[in-house]
Amino acid sequence: MSSKISRRRFLAGSAAGAALVMHPGKKAFASGSFSGFPDGMGVLVDLTRCVGCRTCEAACNKEQKLPEPALPFDDYSVFDEIHHGNQKRRTTDKAYTIVNRYEPEGSDQPLYRKIQCNHCNEPACLTSCFVGAYTKTPEGAVIYDQHVCVGCRNCMIACPFHIPAYTYHSVLNPVIKKCIFCYDTRLKEGRPPACVESCPQQVMTFGKRKDLMKIARERIRKNPKKYIDHVYGEHEVGGTGWFYISSAPFAEAGFDEDLPKEPIINNVKDFLAMVPVVLVVWPALFTGFHLLATKGKSHGHGDDHSNDKQEGH
Amino acid sequence: MVNAGKQLITGLGILLLFSVLSVSCYAMDYPDEVEIDSLTNLYEAVVFDHAMHVDATENCSECHHHTTGTGVTNEYCAKCHEGDVEMDVVACQDCHSDDPVSPDNLHTAKPDFFYHDDKPKLKAAYHLKCLGCHSEVDGPTGCEDCHAKTEAGDKFYHSGEFAPKEDAQHGAEHE
Amino acid sequence: MKKLATYGVKPHDSALKEDGSSWSLMEKLFLGLPLDQYIGQAIRNKFNWVLAVIFAIGFPVIIYRFIFSLGAVTHASYDYPWGLFLGFGLFCMVPLSASGFMLGTTVEIFGRHDFEPIERLALLNGLLGYFFAVVYLLVDLGQPWRLSYPMIYSWGPAAVLFLVGWHVATYLSVQVMEVSTAFFEWIGFQRGYEFIRKGTVGLTVSGIILSTLHQGALGALFVYAPGKVHPLWYSAPFQWLHYFISSIPAGLCMVICVSTIVIYTMKWRCDQRFIDNLDRITISLAKGAALGLITYLIMKIIAVAHDNEWAYIVTGWGVWWLFEIIVGVIVPMALLAYGAHNKLAGICRIGAFITVFGILLNRLNTALIVFNWKLYQEIPHKWEIIISITIFALYIATYRFILARLPILYKYKD
Repeated sequence: MSSKISRRRFLAGSAAGAALVMHPGKKAFASGSFSGFPDGMGVLVDLTRCVGCRTCEAACNKEQKLPEPALPFDDYSVFDEIHHGNQKRRTTDKAYTIVNRYEPEGSDQPLYRKIQCNHCNEPACLTSCFVGAYTKTPEGAVIYDQHVCVGCRNCMIACPFHIPAYTYHSVLNPVIKKCIFCYDTRLKEGRPPACVESCPQQVMTFGKRKDLMKIARERIRKNPKKYIDHVYGEHEVGGTGWFYISSAPFAEAGFDEDLPKEPIINNVKDFLAMVPVVLVVWPALFTGFHLLATKGKSHGHGDDHSNDKQEGH
Repeated sequence: MVNAGKQLITGLGILLLFSVLSVSCYAMDYPDEVEIDSLTNLYEAVVFDHAMHVDATENCSECHHHTTGTGVTNEYCAKCHEGDVEMDVVACQDCHSDDPVSPDNLHTAKPDFFYHDDKPKLKAAYHLKCLGCHSEVDGPTGCEDCHAKTEAGDKFYHSGEFAPKEDAQHGAEHE
Repeated sequence: MKKLATYGVKPHDSALKEDGSSWSLMEKLFLGLPLDQYIGQAIRNKFNWVLAVIFAIGFPVIIYRFIFSLGAVTHASYDYPWGLFLGFGLFCMVPLSASGFMLGTTVEIFGRHDFEPIERLALLNGLLGYFFAVVYLLVDLGQPWRLSYPMIYSWGPAAVLFLVGWHVATYLSVQVMEVSTAFFEWIGFQRGYEFIRKGTVGLTVSGIILSTLHQGALGALFVYAPGKVHPLWYSAPFQWLHYFISSIPAGLCMVICVSTIVIYTMKWRCDQRFIDNLDRITISLAKGAALGLITYLIMKIIAVAHDNEWAYIVTGWGVWWLFEIIVGVIVPMALLAYGAHNKLAGICRIGAFITVFGILLNRLNTALIVFNWKLYQEIPHKWEIIISITIFALYIATYRFILARLPILYKYKD
């Protein structure tokens, strides 16, 4: 039988430990779902208008003071680039947004798609970050704080759109790089991001997400032959701030159509709910096992005489 | 002496011709050439051959929507503007504002302008209209086919004299 | 050491020398041997030559990583942010180190003191595995000097990794305390030893709690990427359970494997109690591992049924999945069960080695091989492979160093 002192210490210790680990965890209003801040901004991307001029890439490069590109922004050979055997271009630490060209079936016109952070309502990057480096601002941008980032790169695993890039080649301060909706320089003042403003065809329309969703639906309604009846990003992974309408099926424009309609965090919520269960139930369960298994029997290592004076030894 | 009857018929014929012409846009006062320069920055002004486009299109409304009094080609415009007369302003920049896209543009207060919501800004109106048609009729679709880049444009696009040097192209990440 | 044994030289195995004086710390470090004999046996040991080569190549590469950044030793991939350092060093080492809480629970909670001879080896296995998992993590992190940030500076409590970080840190402390009894015995600090013993039940229960959660949490990390892990390896509701259940046979079999290696290469260090009981204990551990494996197998099949993924089994990836299940789970389970039932320790040992292989395969599959199955495959960079091998060699060397000295495989004769 354990000595009274050690059993009490153990119960107090595990209760304190449970309290300590549980305390930072749980928000008071845990299980609702979040459909974005009510006045959050968004961008409607109309792929029927994009002609692949890459002015948006140039505008982003200038606004975010990115390094010189490998090729001029009006060099369209980039659309033919193939990486890793079968991949088109993706965002990098030097290019927060890129445009890719696709050849949809049944159409003689290519389709161009602008790729950038979609500023999700409930971003997977944010939920996976264990130092809280990401913030979804009320304006709608998903921004990143490089001062707390440890470099675990879990956000890169979590992002369903393969957006965050990492400056692996920095020795002392490698950080994540991605589109931040021009938050620091424009969005905070209510102005649209540089890419939106620069686009000659107004592929992107900037406004409140809820207004833009109506406009997207209106465009589809007014031109049913022109658009696929789906707004990509309306519900995907819980809804994204930047969403798309297209003339070709989204799968043929490189979009992943197998993404869940719920935010990524819903996948881990069930596991996270196990944490308090284990913290509360396991101590009682295993103490019970211990008492059942050892009551009356001599226990403790043969040479451990620290409990000799206690009852039962 | 001139045959009075022939003169009358010719005169009536000319009168008929003019009256026919007067109701068609071909009688309108339009510039042969328009220099589109309100947005020059990255590109030079566009010297637009208006006369050629008048010949190339069937109806002024193809570009000017319902403002020229020549009927409408878009079924949505037709809901309100069928049979409209020529308006005082027909130029693109008179309705499509130059303002940077502002979220407030998405809300127009007057309910009767509901259908003018989602109106593209001026730069987009030019490109959507011009390129939209050009891509269907094999017209010029390259950026510099219509307007050459300025020096600011070369700098912006990292092209021309501002293009990356050869060695920069090989320094890309090995990912 | 075998050669020394023929001369009747034995390493120290008690606190006091035969003449009654106590060993000094320096003498204990050299196994109670005179310096020339110690160096002689070290040079004669061919494994040391292998280690020397690995370290000669590997340590400079590790230094290179810290001077020239992660990009210099990996593919700097945006699509594959996690490579071998985490895929092997964290995801494989951690389940194989689950032995600490398993044997601790068996002996201290369930009172099965017949497992005592192997308890300390299992605790050490756990401690070193986690410690070196943290070493791998420090090599992998972009800014490893910020490792303490999720503890003390900036919290992201909704993240599964937050839980992993806190638990690994706490559990490492628990394990250090559990192994410290052997250390205190070795250096002769009796009061420290008794102090820890008093809290053993509490420490062990903490260990079970923490292990359940973080073994599961490592699985839950992949639930962040539903589109990226192949459906046969992915299960939103059960991923954590798969990882937790499989950690049980992983830990038990790792103990069997290590004890097998030890009994063949370090028999001089094992006392009679260890040698006599090892076969019996191996068979009992094999029983536990077999039970763990059948439970795991059933949960995997339930997960496939739950998401109706049967059609995937007849694809190319499905064949790979069948390989992992058959070779990595069913075959070792059969061997372990057969060996346990017929009291054949040798069969159990073979089953244990195959189980460890199966666990490695499952973890590497989920983290690297079937990850991004829709995109493209990526083979880790050669420097990444070399660094991973080097750290693992360091783990083995440290393991051996401690086993040769501390009273883990032997009891102090007092």
